[in-house]
Amino acid sequence: MNIMTHGCATIIFSCTLLFWSSWSSAIGNNECMECHGDSSLGRTKSQGINNSLFVDQKVFQYSIHNINGIQCVDCHADITELATDQDVPHSLSLAPVNCAGCHEAEASEYMKGVHQQASSKGMTIQCYACHGYHDVVSVENRSVLERENRSCLKCHEPAKFHNWLPQKDTHFTFVQCTVCHAPETPHRIHLRFYDLAKKEFLQPEAVLAALGTDFDGFLAKFNTDGRADELNAEEFDNMVFALNRRGVHASFHAELLSEREPRIHQITKVAAKRTCEDCHAPDSKFFESVALFFVDRDGRAHQYAVDRKVLESYSVNNFYVPGGARMRQLDMFGIFAVVGAGVGVTLHLLGRVVTGPLRKRRKANEKGE
Amino acid sequence: MENITAFDTGEQERVLSHDRRTFRKKEAVGNVKNKMRYIHHAPIRVWHWVNATAFIFLLVTGVQIRFAEQLDWFSLEEAIHLHNYVGFMVISNYCLWLFYSLASGQIRLYLPSCKNMIRKIKEQVVYYSYGIFRGDHNPHAVTPECKFNVMQQQTYALIMFVLLPLQIVTGLFLWEIKRFENYIQFMGGIRIVNLLHVVLFFFFAAFMIGHLYLSTLGHTPLAHIKAMFTGYEEE
Repeated sequence: MNIMTHGCATIIFSCTLLFWSSWSSAIGNNECMECHGDSSLGRTKSQGINNSLFVDQKVFQYSIHNINGIQCVDCHADITELATDQDVPHSLSLAPVNCAGCHEAEASEYMKGVHQQASSKGMTIQCYACHGYHDVVSVENRSVLERENRSCLKCHEPAKFHNWLPQKDTHFTFVQCTVCHAPETPHRIHLRFYDLAKKEFLQPEAVLAALGTDFDGFLAKFNTDGRADELNAEEFDNMVFALNRRGVHASFHAELLSEREPRIHQITKVAAKRTCEDCHAPDSKFFESVALFFVDRDGRAHQYAVDRKVLESYSVNNFYVPGGARMRQLDMFGIFAVVGAGVGVTLHLLGRVVTGPLRKRRKANEKGE
Repeated sequence: MENITAFDTGEQERVLSHDRRTFRKKEAVGNVKNKMRYIHHAPIRVWHWVNATAFIFLLVTGVQIRFAEQLDWFSLEEAIHLHNYVGFMVISNYCLWLFYSLASGQIRLYLPSCKNMIRKIKEQVVYYSYGIFRGDHNPHAVTPECKFNVMQQQTYALIMFVLLPLQIVTGLFLWEIKRFENYIQFMGGIRIVNLLHVVLFFFFAAFMIGHLYLSTLGHTPLAHIKAMFTGYEEE
């Protein structure tokens, strides 16, 4: 074997060794799931409590972390290698997962909130207490109730503590908790096509097919004022009429949701919104941002901005905010009716005052006769 | 029944006859003025004034709720709680009126009679729009069997049998939207229910103005109002 051949062989061997070592040090999820995919896997703690260590792959594969290619050891960062010759190939006691390592902004906001303050009362509320861990999903396309059920309602019973709030059940259904309890977070109204008779959301594909358009061409189809980024109230009504003509009689389900920003983690109790007039006013900033919201079959969200005046439209008949989304035309009609009654009464009274002398004279004549 | 005759000083003479609900009222000058008849039963009078007071509270709080950002009579929270409490008073009051009217037979006063209805409506309209300015007599005479003129009868029947029950029902639905959501959706959604409630609110506000004015069109401006306290109307 000459030097060239020997050199090549060395290089090839070194590369193979390097590749082999790098491949073997990156612990893949499949290795973890060899044990943790077994539903019977668990451990018994000193107090006799059974702690399941099962990770349901069917649930985990749809989690936001798995979808984004995050591996088990990216969160469980203290596992650097697996001792496959041991019963338990890693340390028995692992360090808590440091969510703040990736979610720094959220953690920073959380530190200012009431859940962090609970630690002074001996309660430690970790991120996973609200968010779970192996089943974290995006809530972008979730309704108010789904968002609350996944987090707030795990611990809280809002019905017990909001007796001051009129229509509290209605508020809990249509308004996300954080709208009031993280008031610095921007919010948005989502309008979704809803079938009142079947009590279900309409499939956006069916709605768009009825309109003869698709997700990309939807706004342009009804645009008449040159603003391609928003539907105004008239354009919105035209869209609803177009649907009615094609036999799709949909109403709209509207919800007030917080934007998914780090500030949403700064939960407050004492500074929570409690002034009804902040919301129940025509120019309330809570209704500045309104969007028509579609969730397609793949679970992707599509949002189309609409003018806030749409909330006063007759078409949005499954959502109403007293004082905030009232129909102004109705006010005009009512004031006209009341003022009309007042004017009619005043004119009649004036007529009687003016004709008073005439009646007196007639009475006197009748007495004389 | 013995007759008690009047004193010559011209004080009030009470004549007790087989009809104990009539008496003659004497003026100070000693002339018999008008015969008074017992028209409004006590339960009806109580119902009327409870209703009137409650309506005023509901109208005021209703205006505050609808125009929350422009008025500051109450906070929105207070206005809603007060509106709900008084609303239930109106519901209870209505049930009492219905029960009494049915039990006593007074309900027939609200049932329009088709006999000569068009002629009577015409006479009444002519009276209020023309005859009253000339000093004509009201074509309708108030009696216990027929205390409403034909226009009053139809208006009150519409209010008591249709509009007020509708206002009560829509108000109940708006009181607890989640509890009644199936019924609300059956009616077409919360906006329809609210629309009905608000339209009726404006109607009742306009009606109150007309009703207050028309109540002053008796023999004297306070005659009908006094009658609603005492029960006795002048013939």
